[in-house]
Amino acid sequence: MNRVLLARLIDLVIVLFGVSIIVFLMIRLIPGDAVAIMLGANTEITPERMAELNRRVGLDRPIVEQYLLWAGAALRGDFGTSLWTGRPVAGEILLHLWPTLELTFLALLVGAVLAVPVGCLMAQTRGGAADVAMRVTAIAGLTIPSFWLGIVLILLLAAWAPGFASLGYVPFSEDPVGNLQRMTLPAIALALPILANLSRLVRSAMLDALGQDYIRTARAKGLAERKVVYKHALRNALIPFLTSVGIMTGYLLGGAIVVEQVFAIPGLGRLILGAIAERNYPLIQATILVVTAGFVLVNFLVDLLYIVVDPRVRA
Amino acid sequence: MVRSALRSALGAGFMVAAMASASAQVLEIGADAGPTGLDPHLITAFPSFMVVNGNIYEGLTAIDKDLKTVPGLAESWTVAPDGKTYTFKLRSGVKFHDGSDMTAEDVVASIKRVQSKDIASPLASRLAAVESANAVDPQTVELKLKEPSAALLSSLATIAIVPSAMEANKDALQKAPVGTGPFKFQEWQPNGFILLTKNDAYWAKGLPKLAGLKFNIVPESATRQVGLSNGQYALLPNIDAATALQLKGKPNVKLAETMDLAYTLIGMNVSKPPFDNPKVREAVNYALNRQEIVDAALFGAGVPGGPLSPALKSWALDVNKFACYKPDPAKAQALLKEAGVATPVAVTLKVLPRQDVKDIAQVVQEQLNKAGFKVELVNQEQGQFIQDWRNSNFDMFASINAGQPDPDEYFYRTFRTGGSTNVFKYSDPEIDQLLDQARSQQDQAARKAAYDKVQQKLACSGPVAHLTYGTLFSAMNSKLQGYDVMPNRSLLTLRDASY
Repeated sequence: MNRVLLARLIDLVIVLFGVSIIVFLMIRLIPGDAVAIMLGANTEITPERMAELNRRVGLDRPIVEQYLLWAGAALRGDFGTSLWTGRPVAGEILLHLWPTLELTFLALLVGAVLAVPVGCLMAQTRGGAADVAMRVTAIAGLTIPSFWLGIVLILLLAAWAPGFASLGYVPFSEDPVGNLQRMTLPAIALALPILANLSRLVRSAMLDALGQDYIRTARAKGLAERKVVYKHALRNALIPFLTSVGIMTGYLLGGAIVVEQVFAIPGLGRLILGAIAERNYPLIQATILVVTAGFVLVNFLVDLLYIVVDPRVRA
Repeated sequence: MVRSALRSALGAGFMVAAMASASAQVLEIGADAGPTGLDPHLITAFPSFMVVNGNIYEGLTAIDKDLKTVPGLAESWTVAPDGKTYTFKLRSGVKFHDGSDMTAEDVVASIKRVQSKDIASPLASRLAAVESANAVDPQTVELKLKEPSAALLSSLATIAIVPSAMEANKDALQKAPVGTGPFKFQEWQPNGFILLTKNDAYWAKGLPKLAGLKFNIVPESATRQVGLSNGQYALLPNIDAATALQLKGKPNVKLAETMDLAYTLIGMNVSKPPFDNPKVREAVNYALNRQEIVDAALFGAGVPGGPLSPALKSWALDVNKFACYKPDPAKAQALLKEAGVATPVAVTLKVLPRQDVKDIAQVVQEQLNKAGFKVELVNQEQGQFIQDWRNSNFDMFASINAGQPDPDEYFYRTFRTGGSTNVFKYSDPEIDQLLDQARSQQDQAARKAAYDKVQQKLACSGPVAHLTYGTLFSAMNSKLQGYDVMPNRSLLTLRDASY
């Protein structure tokens, strides 16, 4: 177990190091630097002042020096300050992390938890009317873009319950009811595609499992159908399910940009998008590192879950 | 019976709620983008300007809703006959948000801060003519100029007065603004909201009436509209015609409109063929049908535009005075022939990534292609566009620019030889001479005469084909009183608003 942990830790360090270099270089390859964009089009400024602004934010140094300075500080836990606002990058990320974590949690809760019974039901009623209806719905859920769904949900709610505050974000600690009210629609908009995707996955994995010999044996020895499905078949169908949930969690942690945009939620997606648009180098670098670390960690947790679910992995 | 009793009880509840809201409350504003920083001497973008200008910070002068220069923190001023010395008498009893008194020292320090190399303020060029600033006494400031500058008073409205301690401090104001305005900074959650609260010590007695301003940052237009209709937001400032039309007639929503100072334009690079030839530029103007652009891209909410916005009533010439504003594709073709260029003239048009500009660029492409051009549209990412613009790396570009209250603030830097935003590399001795002359004079009639000639010449063969001035809207809850939408997009009238 300790060796697994250690190997994972080394993986994490290598991935973070690689990502930090790639991000550092890529963002600087995009034409137009932070200072030029900060000033915008049609601002009067002399080249000398541009140079001064560049010096002020440290963009005048050679790129290797910039990287070493940044990486050295980051290792000591100092991610620098935002080029535009002068506020510490770590604080900005933390502020945006909570809405994203909450949204990820709620969307997964709804999507993944419902996907198991729905998928099992689809497998059990295979070929029947219920199965067809659910599969068509699932395909619709997969193909409807969540930003569109989000806007439609907002408009519908505005028509049916005009007093329901559905936009923006308030922290749970300040106003629990307001927080949940505002999170309901975005969580649904995010959860539907997840539910559609995962239930289809559970269905096919379950069909696979239900065709196995040991299921026939279980039925032959007279086990109740529910026990056959949920105790014997489901356990074998869980591995691909967990892998998918892990990958989805990783993506969700990176911020659901369009849904955050539509519902005006200040999450990581908008933070990254804004930072890229304004070439806010320190902010982009740190945010992407945090998201990458999150992705790797989630996958590590999934690996641990394999061990719990599947005795064969333990060996 | 029970139900009607319940209903009246509910009704009474609403009455109580309505009465509570009649007293001061925080105005919820739906804004499309958040500020990019708060240091008033560093920011230039609209979203930052909207939050800071007139709300948190004030200048010596202010621009009112008719774009006239009026007293701000300076109660009055005198200009020496040679136009090189300005003496400002400051308002008494003005306090900064930190409780300290605003004095002449602070004004001098603010001007020095903008001019300082270290701060690197993009506003420095607006004070280029100022040689020195002195505090004569705590209530009097004297500015000495290198040469007369007729637009100085108007420019001073954008120079925020900050405490003298900030003169050499680069970072403090980015995080915690300290101004003299009717609202003071409370909290900023990037991508979430920025909250300003009432300044109880504001110098104008009885103002502001609102308890505060909360700018909610809501990037999606459809979301802002729903937020206004369902009462979550009370004001959507400075919106375009498309959004305004959708909100028109909704219950509890009212619209206010004004002529925008910002203009859409086609810029042409005169340092290389084909636009180095004035005849080709004239051909572009004849080829354009500006009314069609207004109808197709602005939903009819706007006017064909000349070099100055019709909002500048005392300066702008009527566009019917420009011969080339009568659309005439045949004449354009003839001009191209005269110019001796091979038709169709193949050019690229780089487009600023904004929906209104993209729409306009498509109409322009269509119109020019009918008159002997072959225009290729290049949609660019913001950073790329700005970089190409600054490096004069374009044949033509389509964009939208903020206008200025004084013609000098726009013309001089844009069309004077070597001007700081003359990315077209335009150079014309007659224009240079007129611009110098108009800048050094105080006499309105003489300045107007010079700018009339400038407009006349620029309209048809200048490096910029001015396209349209849109109607600028604000949508608000019908309970909001006293707010006026301003051509320069400032929200300073919120000082007088009540909700």
